[in-house]
Amino acid sequence: MTPAILVIGELREDKPTDASREAAGVARRLVGDAPVMGLLIGSPVEPAAAGWCRDGVDTVRWLAEPPAGGRLAGALVPSLLALLSEGSIELVLLPSTGFGRELAGALAARWDAGAATGVTAITRTAEGWEVRRPVFGGRATETRILSGPRAVVALRPRSFPAPEPREAPAAAAVQAVVAPGPWAAGPTRIGSEPVVSGGGPALGDAPIVVAGGRGVGSSDQFRLIEELAGALDAAVGASRAVTDAGWRPASLQVGQTGRTVTPQLYIAVGISGAIQHVVGMIGSRVIVAINSDPSAPIFKVADYGIVGDLLQIVPALTAEIRRVRGR
Amino acid sequence: MVDFSLTPDQESLRELARKFARSEMAPRAAEVDRTGRFPEEIYRKAWELGLMNLNVPAEFGGTGLGLFDQCLIVEELAYACAGMTTSIIANCLALEPILLGATPEQKERWLRPFCADYHLASFCLTEPSGGSDAAALKTRARRSGDDYLLTGEKCFITNAPHAALFTVFATLDPALRHKGITAFVVPRDAVGLVPGREEEKMGHRASATSTVRFDEVRVPAADRLGAEGEGFSLAMRTLDQTRTPIGAMATGISQAALDLAARYALQRTTFGKPIAEHQAIQAKLATMAQQLTASRLLTWLAAWTIDGGARGTLESSIAKCFSSDAALRVADEAIQTFGGYGYMKEYPVEKLLRDAKLTQIYEGANEIQRIVTARELLKRYA
Amino acid sequence: MEIAVCVKPVPDPDTRLRASPDQRTLDPEGVKYVLAGYDESAVEQGLLLREQIPGSAVRAFAFGPAPRAPEILRSCLALGCDSATHVAANEPVDDPLVVAAALGTVLGSRPADLILVGKQALDDEEGLVAPALGALLDRPSFSSVTDLRWSPDRARFSFRRSTEVEVERWEAPPPLVLGLQQAWNDPRTAKLPNVLKARRMPIESVPAAPGAAAGRSVPLRFDLPAPRAGARMIEYSTPAEAAERLVRILREEAKVFP
Repeated sequence: MTPAILVIGELREDKPTDASREAAGVARRLVGDAPVMGLLIGSPVEPAAAGWCRDGVDTVRWLAEPPAGGRLAGALVPSLLALLSEGSIELVLLPSTGFGRELAGALAARWDAGAATGVTAITRTAEGWEVRRPVFGGRATETRILSGPRAVVALRPRSFPAPEPREAPAAAAVQAVVAPGPWAAGPTRIGSEPVVSGGGPALGDAPIVVAGGRGVGSSDQFRLIEELAGALDAAVGASRAVTDAGWRPASLQVGQTGRTVTPQLYIAVGISGAIQHVVGMIGSRVIVAINSDPSAPIFKVADYGIVGDLLQIVPALTAEIRRVRGR
Repeated sequence: MVDFSLTPDQESLRELARKFARSEMAPRAAEVDRTGRFPEEIYRKAWELGLMNLNVPAEFGGTGLGLFDQCLIVEELAYACAGMTTSIIANCLALEPILLGATPEQKERWLRPFCADYHLASFCLTEPSGGSDAAALKTRARRSGDDYLLTGEKCFITNAPHAALFTVFATLDPALRHKGITAFVVPRDAVGLVPGREEEKMGHRASATSTVRFDEVRVPAADRLGAEGEGFSLAMRTLDQTRTPIGAMATGISQAALDLAARYALQRTTFGKPIAEHQAIQAKLATMAQQLTASRLLTWLAAWTIDGGARGTLESSIAKCFSSDAALRVADEAIQTFGGYGYMKEYPVEKLLRDAKLTQIYEGANEIQRIVTARELLKRYA
Repeated sequence: MEIAVCVKPVPDPDTRLRASPDQRTLDPEGVKYVLAGYDESAVEQGLLLREQIPGSAVRAFAFGPAPRAPEILRSCLALGCDSATHVAANEPVDDPLVVAAALGTVLGSRPADLILVGKQALDDEEGLVAPALGALLDRPSFSSVTDLRWSPDRARFSFRRSTEVEVERWEAPPPLVLGLQQAWNDPRTAKLPNVLKARRMPIESVPAAPGAAAGRSVPLRFDLPAPRAGARMIEYSTPAEAAERLVRILREEAKVFP
């Protein structure tokens, strides 16, 4: 008997995020030809739904943002529960973003389901859903069984392939589900600022991150990091030493007390590789380290290393990337 | 029944010291060793956490720990940086004569305001003409009305450039030898008290050391510790208390050296395998572990003996002397395990050897410790 | 204001990771369990708010078996929490929803205007307890929270929530459940006399609710990654050559950009 799956997706600039598309692809792979229900959070946008159907979902519903004007996971749960019982859903997949994890926790608690976040592999076994996930800052991997009749699984972004577009997408049956607004007098979003990212994409989901550490030497010389990031269309990150010194704002900090990033490529420049930093970037697919100290621990976690004066290496790298990219 | 396990209280205070040592001291140890900077921000934080005036009773604002508990803390601190540890525990040494010899009024006057804020104190016994022969000190205390006038010079005084309070030993008459020695408490702002410039040292470079000159420094009789002529006994009883923590300091250095050597031995390969698999290196590690374990147990024994109310002169002199000799050997073997890298300043092991060396010299040179040990020993056969 | 802080005993961050004999979990043999990571921020944040709001109390709660749960509650007391409650389980349970259910049952009967939790535990990194507690207690919950403050005249909290692309500013009245990312300041360190005093303070023990024993998420395997070989070092004679070689490897071998 094929399980019924609901995929919850997030929108950015009126399109499903990459992580939402990956989740649709995973759902499709898990159920074969059986139907996959999709749910997008936001105001209905027809092309978004159609595109997502090509990624693997069969029907798309919409869940309006709660009146608070911001995402409040708990407020969505009652509508979700109604939807889940209607579709006899057994598994909910969603991206393991900050909001995805909030939604996973809130939903699982009320749906009486097992849950896991940060999942990098999922398979169906006789005992239940077998999920694999990195733990201890990437120093170990655990495999768990979600054994109950219901499960909520948040998938780590960029750990699954982007889905191949299906040839004959089903027509999207768009249907609006309006979330009731509990706590109407409660939390209010009063504003937001984009994550300061040195002009490039946001640190949290950039495919390439160039990060600088104490070894960069000064606030002025940190511009070299930003230029390299610019050439790569990468986000800029920093170690705690840099943000503590006030060279760059704390929002750029990668590591235990900052952000965890998992880009395709992480370039660590002048970062020694203290464990507090490493836990925030160890999930990156490819790690490059540039450091003057050959014994820096960063070289133990990096895939490729260059020992040398970063004031010379980084500008040379920026120039080379501009050259091959023809700009 | 003998029991080597620590109480939950002891586990907790050791844990706190370890956390402070590894998160605050260790990251700055190499820089401070290189520059010789006096890292006052670390000492201030040690004071805030209650790691500074360990031997001062809580009623006066100290931490009020027994010697065994002090030793647990000192070992952890020294593991991260022996030089910083010397500066952190210098208050214990300088304040001990007050704890032993001050009147209740004097304790109230000196200890409470001193411990209520971050302050350093210096113990001024050693003089340029000789440290080990303490009875022969030359700094004079001359009676002048109700006051004394102190004149002379002290040397190798820990924290002196930064200290607010000095416990000073001076003689009323050198001819009286130890019977003339009298102890005083002198504030930094006393006219005529002049710390010299900081010495450049081989190790313990995080700690500041200088001479202190006394030029007709006027000290009221009310600031004399104990009676005239009691100073020598106060100094010796103080050293009986503070000798044992030097054993703990040396133990911390040895533990750091063994940890570094063992980790390196597992990771460094020669002839196609980790050097830890070579018997020559295994023998080194085994010997280091023997020395370390014996150091710790001798230190614990001395501290336990003294906490039990005994003077513990024999036990503490054995602990201090053995552990400091052991630290030098263990640090030496750690460097040898590292080979050429061990000799490089870029790696942390050579610092351990330089730091270990001082533990053989200060708070009673090991030559004196052996004399003390032998004297105590022979009493039992006489 | 009544502030509850929920903390979880986690292996000391310096622990050498090893799989248990049955290969299912971390081997707990010789592991020291401590208060660490975001939980420290949660405690710090609670204590900072107490300093700001007269008449407040910070109460620590930990679920788990003895001695590890009471031990970290002692750490909370040493840091300055007013009371500590051990929600006692006989066995270690690492299903976050079971943890949330056990804590929720106890917290549901206590007056807590604000429940603070680390946004995720240092070991399992699930981040599920804060939102699950919110859902179970029917209170709004936010995670990845920083800059939490209390405005007395408006009787509301203000805080920021980090998302992947922006930092949102929120206001909300109590009651609230927050998963803390970072406190305003570095977490304080307990002073030695307080550590010793905390050893003599009482820790309330309540049994975990029946049913909060078995989990639906059960560990199957604990794998350590094969030790990384270490970086492949790029040899070069000029910086330009280093750059050219690295870019070629990244394009052709690692295929991280076209």
